[in-house]
Amino acid sequence: MRVDTSKFQYKQLETYKEILELHHIKIKTLIVNIINLVFAFVVGYFLVVMKVERIMFVGIIFMFVVLFIVNIALYSYNNDLYNNLKFSMYINTIGEYIIAITLIIIFQTPSMFTLLFLAYAITAIYQDYKAMITSNLALFVSGVLLVVGFDSIFSIPGSTSTQNNFIIVFLILFVLLLTLSSYILIKRKTFFYNHLAQIKESEIRNMDVLIEIEQKRTKKTLDSEEYYKSLELFSRELSKKIGIENIFSRKIQLLRDLKKYNSAEIIEKYSEYTQDEINELKILELSINQKIRNLGIKASKTQGINVTRKEIFSESQFKSFKHLNDKNYVKIISFVVFYCLIKIDKPYLKELEESNIKDILLNSEYFYRIDRDIIEIYLENNEVFDTIVNDLLKDRWTYEKNN
Amino acid sequence: MKKIISRITNSEFLTFSEVLKLKVAIVTLFLLVLTLLSIPLSSFNEFTIDINVFIPMALGLLLLLTILLLVVNLNRSAMHFSIITIIVLTLYYTYESNHFYGYMMFFVTLTIIIFYQDIATYLLYGVSITAYGVYNIFEKGVSIVGLNSINTDVSLYTYTGILIGFYLVFLVQFLISDNIYEKMNNEWVRMNKVLEKYQEFSFKHLAEMLEENSVQPIYKDQKFQQTVSEICVFINEFFEKDADNIAEVVEYYFFLHDQEVDHVIENKELSITARRYASQLSKYLLNQRTEMVSMLFDFSTMFKESTEYTENRYVYNIDKLFSNRIDKLLALAMIYKYLKTEITQFDKWGNVKRILTHEEITEMFVSKEFREFITYEQVNFYLDNEQLFREFL
Repeated sequence: MRVDTSKFQYKQLETYKEILELHHIKIKTLIVNIINLVFAFVVGYFLVVMKVERIMFVGIIFMFVVLFIVNIALYSYNNDLYNNLKFSMYINTIGEYIIAITLIIIFQTPSMFTLLFLAYAITAIYQDYKAMITSNLALFVSGVLLVVGFDSIFSIPGSTSTQNNFIIVFLILFVLLLTLSSYILIKRKTFFYNHLAQIKESEIRNMDVLIEIEQKRTKKTLDSEEYYKSLELFSRELSKKIGIENIFSRKIQLLRDLKKYNSAEIIEKYSEYTQDEINELKILELSINQKIRNLGIKASKTQGINVTRKEIFSESQFKSFKHLNDKNYVKIISFVVFYCLIKIDKPYLKELEESNIKDILLNSEYFYRIDRDIIEIYLENNEVFDTIVNDLLKDRWTYEKNN
Repeated sequence: MKKIISRITNSEFLTFSEVLKLKVAIVTLFLLVLTLLSIPLSSFNEFTIDINVFIPMALGLLLLLTILLLVVNLNRSAMHFSIITIIVLTLYYTYESNHFYGYMMFFVTLTIIIFYQDIATYLLYGVSITAYGVYNIFEKGVSIVGLNSINTDVSLYTYTGILIGFYLVFLVQFLISDNIYEKMNNEWVRMNKVLEKYQEFSFKHLAEMLEENSVQPIYKDQKFQQTVSEICVFINEFFEKDADNIAEVVEYYFFLHDQEVDHVIENKELSITARRYASQLSKYLLNQRTEMVSMLFDFSTMFKESTEYTENRYVYNIDKLFSNRIDKLLALAMIYKYLKTEITQFDKWGNVKRILTHEEITEMFVSKEFREFITYEQVNFYLDNEQLFREFL
């Protein structure tokens, strides 16, 4: 069975992950350029010591200069910075190898050959799939071609061609190891981006769940008119105190009208405000928009929360049904209780059909929260699970029983 | 093998220990290949036959030990053993031989150490192997200087320079990712705790709702208990012959709902098994906000209607949300009003019934933590007009 976790993922994640990544690509681009600068100076120094021809010296330094110019240009062009920096990442990846290969071909010594490894290390800073594939391919293809096509590079006293063939074997192993290593490290990066993006969205939705349950219980909703009235009073007194005319009342009236009129009517009625100003005011509106309500909930709950260093990478922070040291019975019971609970009606979630549950458990991150053997037993025998629940539990318990 | 590939492709969903286990498994596979390679390559070195037999055997034993440690879930120890194995292999490949692939082993070793992404390990083993590499190049490096080389010293410096450069560049990469991921994870853990607070309130509302409706909680329902028990026995049939054994633990799980679990865990008169089960099951109880309850709420969020992503969707700072000063001020007043009039706290009996007092709100506003929502300027404005806030909002 193929797991497709994207099927049941919050739809807002991708955009936010891009924003998170943009900030980090900026830092990485700067670091790569600083390393390139140091690299350029060291190479320049060696070229001078080796007294290479001027044309070669100028040629190599020119390559570095081109790389810098392209990077600066792409970094400074603010429009679509994310894609610009991604582009500069690929340019840098290819550029590193072009410079390394050029130097290897000029000097044709085994010590220079290892520049390929350094080029790899520099491009690995990006931790990006496409950059990784480009870099690994470049390392492998150029490495093998150089060993095969320029065997004079590896002319070492006492070495045989058989030994040179082993260089290819080692190169294959090395590239394979690097590929797997980078692949998993990039996956881990995705893990952190996913988790942070997911929890940001989960926060909003958990606040919605809280409000939904609270309203079901108390049968009360937020009284926006009461807020606007208080704001009017407050702003009137504040204006008096400061000694200015009441500049708030018009905006408060606009907030009230946002519920009554559509956008076109609002623009017409409040022609003194621009569309951007009205959009900003919409955030303050209380009966349709939830930003201020969410801000209030968050502000009321986030005091006194401390995170210790020990907790940062602690396993216990991850909620699952398969904690490392838990006994198998515990893993089974926890999953079964969870399964039974999603099969019944709750104030915050209606009972789900068996086909839906199976689909979600297979195609969401919950698949990875359940012990592999247990989830496989469920997926292969879900009808049995369903029958037991239908026979024993169906419609037997409801939270509204005695209403 | 199929299982390893599936784990690699889905490694973003694995926990830290599962990923470490996966990494050690991959490294062990590579070490096995490199160890096997040492057999044909032994003909190129100048060791005695004893050494050439002894070293691959010793490496084989080290690998066996690594696999054993993996099986018993001692993943960190397994990681150290795998690093020691690759270091022994590198010493073997470079000690007596003058082959370029021997020099490549330094990079392979560093790659394996980097792969584990542990700064202490990288500093300890990474520095050691790089230092040995530099020593080795100056001691025996002349034998791998190519015939094309114009200047032997420059070749040796190139070898050492690139090895040290490789180490340093990965160290920089380490420091950047460590810093980025630590910050991200710190925020994630903090958010996790915030979410638990919301869920605590949601749970409490539910519990109070059931009480007000005179409905007994689901965990007390006989039919629910029976359903859980039967499904557990069904699953357990795939694991052991006496599948019914689990029913006793299921009963114990429901029994724990009527107990003070902490007391059960600490009660030395109970058997270790009973206490251990109590400790492990406590995460999944249904009579308080536990991991189980949180997962249920999280699960339900997948089905909630939600608006599209906008630029300020996850922004909660008034200064960032608004550019206009009047809007900022109105927002500040609204937050104050919300905190002052809505029930947002537990009372002393643990019920959701309390609102914050003006003094508590003031304390919150001036606290450092509250800079997440308002700026110092806004706090100063609030303090200057505190009386108006108190009287009219």
